[in-house]
Amino acid sequence: MFGATFRSVAVVVPFSVALGLGAALLIHSLGRFGNLYTTIYFLPVMAALIAMAIVWEFALLPTVGLVNCLLEAFCGTSPELWRWHAAGCAEGFPLWLSDRDYAIWTVAFIGVWQGFGFNMVLYLAGLTSIPRALYHAAEMDGATSGWERFRLVTWPMLGPTTVFVVTITIIRSFRVFDTVEAFYPQGGGPGKSVYVMMFAIYEKAIQQNLMGIGAAITVVFLGFVMVLTLIQRWLVERRTHYV
Amino acid sequence: MSDATLSTAPTATEAQFRFNTAETIKHVVLILGAMIVLLPFYVMVSYSLKAPAELMQNTGGFFGSQRPFLDDRCMLLGGTEATCMINPTVYNYTSAYREAPLLRYLLNGVIVTMSIFLIQVIVALPCAYALAKLRFWGREAVFGLVLFCLLIPIHAIALPLYILLAQLGLTNSYAALIIPWTISVFGIFLMRQFFMTVPDDLIDAARMDGMSEYGIVWNVMLPTAIPALMAFAIFSIVAHWNDYFWPRIVITGDRSLFTPPLGLREFRGDADGSNFGPMMASAVIIVTPLIVAFLLMQRRFIEGITLSGMK
Repeated sequence: MFGATFRSVAVVVPFSVALGLGAALLIHSLGRFGNLYTTIYFLPVMAALIAMAIVWEFALLPTVGLVNCLLEAFCGTSPELWRWHAAGCAEGFPLWLSDRDYAIWTVAFIGVWQGFGFNMVLYLAGLTSIPRALYHAAEMDGATSGWERFRLVTWPMLGPTTVFVVTITIIRSFRVFDTVEAFYPQGGGPGKSVYVMMFAIYEKAIQQNLMGIGAAITVVFLGFVMVLTLIQRWLVERRTHYV
Repeated sequence: MSDATLSTAPTATEAQFRFNTAETIKHVVLILGAMIVLLPFYVMVSYSLKAPAELMQNTGGFFGSQRPFLDDRCMLLGGTEATCMINPTVYNYTSAYREAPLLRYLLNGVIVTMSIFLIQVIVALPCAYALAKLRFWGREAVFGLVLFCLLIPIHAIALPLYILLAQLGLTNSYAALIIPWTISVFGIFLMRQFFMTVPDDLIDAARMDGMSEYGIVWNVMLPTAIPALMAFAIFSIVAHWNDYFWPRIVITGDRSLFTPPLGLREFRGDADGSNFGPMMASAVIIVTPLIVAFLLMQRRFIEGITLSGMK
C-alpha cells in the first residue's frame, strides 16, 4: 500500500509542479495566444476525473487504444536513442494498465495530466505579481541571459508560490482514488501494484466493513497531512520574503 | 525570456528573426503539450460519434463514416432490416439515455450541488458576519477553530461521517450526499476575510435605520459579497459535481440517487464490448455542462478553482 502511494506521489509531485511552472513561464512570456493555452491546460482540472479515467482506459487499451496506435504509427522512424520505442515496435507495446510494471506509473501519469494545469494557474498568478522593475534592475547588474534572470529574480520571487503549490500537490496526490477505483474496482490492480491509500481505506472500511483497519489507515493519512502542513508553515515563516 | 535574445542581437532584422524563432519554439512546445492534454477529450468525443464496428477496427478518423449500421438490439425486438438501420451518433446518444436513467443522474447532480451550495451560503454568511463584525466572548477561539478545521482534508473524516450517517439510517438518501458538506469552514473563512474589508460605518448606518442583525446580513452584507460569493459558488459546484469518493461511499445500490459520476461508473460496470460508444456519449454529456460554463466564464472559473488552493 505504501509502496504504491509513495511511487505515485513521487511521480506526480515533481512532474506536475515542474510542468506547471514550465507551462506558466512559457505562457507568461508569450505575446499572443497565452489565454488559449491556459484554457486548454486547465480543461482537465474542470472535467470529472472519473469520466476522464474511463476515457483514458479506452485510449490505453493494448491493441485498439489510441496511445498504442499512435506509437505504432511512428514505428520505423524512432530515433536510435529511444530504445524503448524500437523495442515496443518489435515486441509489441506495453499493456499499460494491466501490466504490473507499468500500471502505477500510468496512473501517476494521469494524475500529472489532471493536476498540472492547476499548478500552472497558481504560478501564472505568481508571475504576474513580480514587478517588472526587478528585471530591469537585474539586467543593469549584468544578468542578461534568460536563465540568469530566472535564477536571480523569478525563482526567488516565486518562493512562496512554490511552497504552497508543492504542499497542495502532495496532499492532492495522496488522495488519488477516482482513477484507481475506475480502473481496478477489485483489489488494486495487477499484483496489488496500484493499491493506494485512499483505495485501501475504501476497500477495508466500506466494502469489507473492517472499520478498524480503515480507521488506522486514515490516521496514518492524517498524520502525513499534518506533518506536511507543519513543514509548510515552518518554511513559510522561516523564509525571507521579498514581496 | 524572449527579450533577452532581443537585446543581445546585433541588427534589427536579425533580432526580429531570432525573436520569431524563440517564439516559434515556445509555440511548438506548447502545442505538443496541448495535444497530449487534449488527447482524451479527442478520444471521448470521437468514440461517441462512431459505430461499434469502427471502434473495434479503429477506423473512420475523428468523425467516423457516419454510415448507418444495423442495430442488433432492434433486430432482436423484431424490427426489420430497413427500420433498424441507425446513424451511429444518434444511436450512441440515444442509448446513453435509454440504457441508464441519465437524465435522472443529471437531475440528481443539479439537486445535490445546488442544495449544498445554498445551505453552505445560509450557514456561512451569518457565521462569517459574526466572526468579522460582532464582538462576543470567545470569538477568537471560534475563529481559531475554523482555521484548524481548514487543515483537515475531507477524506480524513469520511469514515466517522459514514458511521454517523449509517447509524442514523441516512445512507442511500439525498441527506447523506448533502449534509456532510453543508458547513463549509472554507466558505466561512473566505466570507469572513471579505467582510473584514466592508466598512463598519455601513453596518452602523443600517443599525441606525433599525435593521435587525439578520436583515443586515442578507440585505447589506450579501450584496457587497457577490464577487466573493461567485468565486465560492464556482469552487463549490465544480467540486461537488465532479466528486466521486463521497457518493461512492454513501450511495450503495439505489440507482435513483446516483450522481452523474456514479452513474457513469455503473454504466462502465455493465458495459460489454459493444457499449463503448454510448458510454463515451454519456461521458460527454456529464463533462459538458462544466466545460461549457468554464469556456464562457474562464476568468471567474480560474479564480474560483484556485481559491480551493487556500484549503
